[in-house]
Amino acid sequence: MLPSSNLILQSVLDGVFLGFLYSLMALGLSLVFGVMGIINFAHGDFIMLGSYLVWILANSLRSDPSLMSVITVPLFFTIGAAIYVAIIRPVLGKEPLIQIAVTVGVGYVLQNLALMMFRAEPRAVQISYLNFYVNLGLVSVHTAKLTSALLSLFIVLGVHYLLTKTWVGLAIRATAYDKEIASLMGINVGKIFLLVFGLGISLTGLAASLWMTFGQADPYIGSSFGLLTWVIIALGGLGGVSGLLASSIIVGVIQSLTMTLVSPSVSLAIPYIVFIIVLWFRPQGLFGKG
Amino acid sequence: MSDAVLLEVVNLSKRFGGITALNNVSMRITKGEILGIIGPNGAGKTTLVNCVTGIYKPDGGKVLFLGEDITGRQPHFIALKGIARTWQKIRPFYNMTVIEAVTAGALLRTKDVLKAREEAAEILEFVGIPRSKFEVLGKNIALIEHKLVDLARAIATKPKLLFLDEVVAGLRPHEVDVIADVVKKVNREMGITLGVIEHVMRFVMNISDRIVVLHEGRLLTQGKPAEVARDPLVVEAYLGTKPV
Repeated sequence: MLPSSNLILQSVLDGVFLGFLYSLMALGLSLVFGVMGIINFAHGDFIMLGSYLVWILANSLRSDPSLMSVITVPLFFTIGAAIYVAIIRPVLGKEPLIQIAVTVGVGYVLQNLALMMFRAEPRAVQISYLNFYVNLGLVSVHTAKLTSALLSLFIVLGVHYLLTKTWVGLAIRATAYDKEIASLMGINVGKIFLLVFGLGISLTGLAASLWMTFGQADPYIGSSFGLLTWVIIALGGLGGVSGLLASSIIVGVIQSLTMTLVSPSVSLAIPYIVFIIVLWFRPQGLFGKG
Repeated sequence: MSDAVLLEVVNLSKRFGGITALNNVSMRITKGEILGIIGPNGAGKTTLVNCVTGIYKPDGGKVLFLGEDITGRQPHFIALKGIARTWQKIRPFYNMTVIEAVTAGALLRTKDVLKAREEAAEILEFVGIPRSKFEVLGKNIALIEHKLVDLARAIATKPKLLFLDEVVAGLRPHEVDVIADVVKKVNREMGITLGVIEHVMRFVMNISDRIVVLHEGRLLTQGKPAEVARDPLVVEAYLGTKPV
């Protein structure tokens, strides 16, 4: 039986909303890689850790998960800064293999920690102020998904503004292009790295809060978010915000359609297959410049 | 020209493994002058500048800037103190516009982006980049423009001392003259002291008040351009010993 066009439309819409949240998830990873050249394999696991934290906080404070970002964002900034100082800074300028081993290690520590504390059961927050549907005739809009999409877009554009219009942003971009020249222009590259890594991790705290308004926490979402965000960045071609948003939405829609039309069990596989096919034709990513 | 010492380098040494790139070099740069730093390839000119600007930590000796010991300090600290440089190889911020790159330099002295941008615009016009080029990306401009933008980016940090590392390398003769005029203007009108590392003799002899010659990591000689050019030691360093 063919699925109805309404179902497909609904699925695309949900995919677009999910895509916006993915862009927020990928933003921190993209910043850290773009500025510091560090591939943070633990990125997804920070989203996982954040999701559990939000689950605990929202349930014990009996409040909406999205409001927990007031706690997760500053807390994760601090955690990110501490991890930068203790773990990332010592391996800066070392071989990529060492850097990979270090961040993969952080990811596994977080994952095992979650398995130990919460076991492998998925957890969701029961309380949400936004857990209802608005019927628009052809499709219905889940308010939590809509809100998380809008907030994600707002933050992504906000970070874009920060990078292009403020002195910190110019310093960050100058550091990304040539850290030696940046330092000779009086930019404290060490401070910029601390700031960028802290910001990158704090954005996972925010993304986790938004994810938990409709999603679930389990110890393995870190791996799937980690790889999904990498696919998004590679598709986007590490360019600007427009590439990031577009590739996030593409991945979100593909994933959503796969869940609706094929099976939820392959919703991670299909985006990768599409990704690999894209790379055959455009190795620089969809929006990267050759 | 006053005779106040701006930069003093005392017995500076830098080794890379078994190679001694700088061997007990002592020299001074006086406030207001244009000092030419010449020498054959491998003489240690760039190493000297890298040690002064904090890119390398010297193995021995001292760097004094306005009397303050800045030996081995971080590059951003030294930039804040007032030493800037350009690079032999152009190093543009490829995906930043011309004006953004220079604005980033100006942000060292102000955190007001609009003010920094105005300053950047003035400096770009000062070195001869027309406003029509301001919004062009770093990767899309010509070599001479790159040299001028790199120069503007360094000037924007408001240095007291600016090192130019082979700024005319790869340029055509008439472009060399353009740079020579700009460099003299930077020195006279902006009052920035210059250390000019150079291989193009016509350029460096023309603009410098004084020349130091490095050879195999040591200070060979120093003096007025005309004196240095006649110095038999310098001729020998460049051309080898006269055949009998």
